[in-house]
Amino acid sequence: MRKYVTILAFLAFNFAFINRSAAQCDTIATVCAKHIISPYISDGQQYRALLLADQTAEFHATFFGGGTYRIAACTGLNDGNLLFSVFDEQRNLLFSNKDFKNAPYWDFSVTSTMGIILEATLAGAHSGCAVVLIGFKP
Amino acid sequence: MKKQSFYLIPLFLISCCIVISSCGGNSDEENAEKRMENMIDSSNVTVGVGGKIFIIPSPIQTAMLIQKSGAKYDKGMLNSPGKVNSYSTKFQKCLNLGIYGADLGYATLYDQTQDALLYFKATNTLATDLGLTNAFDNTLVERFQKNIGKKDSILVLVSSAYRASNDFLKNNERNEEAALIIAGGWIETLQFAINIMNTNGNNEVKRRIADQKSTLSNLISLISTYQGNEEYAELLAKLNDLETEYDKVEYKYVYEQPVVDEVKKNTTFKSKSEVKITPENIKAIGEKIAAIRNLIVA
Repeated sequence: MRKYVTILAFLAFNFAFINRSAAQCDTIATVCAKHIISPYISDGQQYRALLLADQTAEFHATFFGGGTYRIAACTGLNDGNLLFSVFDEQRNLLFSNKDFKNAPYWDFSVTSTMGIILEATLAGAHSGCAVVLIGFKP
Repeated sequence: MKKQSFYLIPLFLISCCIVISSCGGNSDEENAEKRMENMIDSSNVTVGVGGKIFIIPSPIQTAMLIQKSGAKYDKGMLNSPGKVNSYSTKFQKCLNLGIYGADLGYATLYDQTQDALLYFKATNTLATDLGLTNAFDNTLVERFQKNIGKKDSILVLVSSAYRASNDFLKNNERNEEAALIIAGGWIETLQFAINIMNTNGNNEVKRRIADQKSTLSNLISLISTYQGNEEYAELLAKLNDLETEYDKVEYKYVYEQPVVDEVKKNTTFKSKSEVKITPENIKAIGEKIAAIRNLIVA
């Protein structure tokens, strides 16, 4: 009995520490959510990727014509640490937050429905959890 | 005693290693970076599902379009909340949580407060069954009841609850369940649009049906990750079959330079797109999505 209790305690102890990384992505998402505020409504999801310095996360979305969207992109606990660029399906660059002091969010008004590709990279960190949140205007 | 000590020592040493690697003199953020380095596959330049992460639009967007089109509220096209306890598998619960979420959004947009309350209860039941009480808790219930009748507040509350559920599922590596909830919401939304198209033939709704072409492709990519399971494989087969109809939808895109308003932190995408979708196409899409939906809500 003591053997099983000890093994269980060992597993629980290590699970708590290993799970900290997932919890930190969660913390980043909570911090990032401050950018999706009225009049924007969350699209009900959180998008994330664990990145090293030389890696790019690629997100594919459809923006409907007539809509206005807000993209918030974060890593770490402070703003400005995640670079994100928006391309159309033909890979024309539509926006890069690098041109605007690594702005943590930006709004997009869409004339006609289009597919967009969002690329996110870390701005200097060795590694990190990249979190992207999307809101839309009702 | 000797036998117990023998296995205790390696357990102790391993625990110490993990604790030492998780703690340290550096800041929490620096420690988090180090742990993440160990978790990331550095052979991939782009990360995600096959290198990509797929974003599926919220059902509320199309429900809003439908309401703005002037279509009357049609309770008959929603899934009965009375069926909530008939869904026994995790697969059924997740898909119907997505479906009921779309129904809740629809009822809310039309200020149907009694129906919205029933759909809220149904989503709450399924969310609780799935262990999503971090998002669907007593606080949410109280806030929902307090804001009943306030459309904008309800939409924000419900969307936030779904995002919190999505967070929880991903944090706990239940990504396939998160994908099913999203799929359920999308399927229900397309069903809404088809029903409205059949009754009042609105051009904007027709356009929105056609616009689902790329979203369906993204959804299939998302679900494809989990096709090892028989139920997922069946859903995927039906979505692929639906896609054969969407392959007939013509889509043309022309790039135009976007316009930036730095002060407002806004960029307007001026690019234009056109779609061509025939009545036969819509009919076939309608039949296939109805078959998928009926299988899920049965």
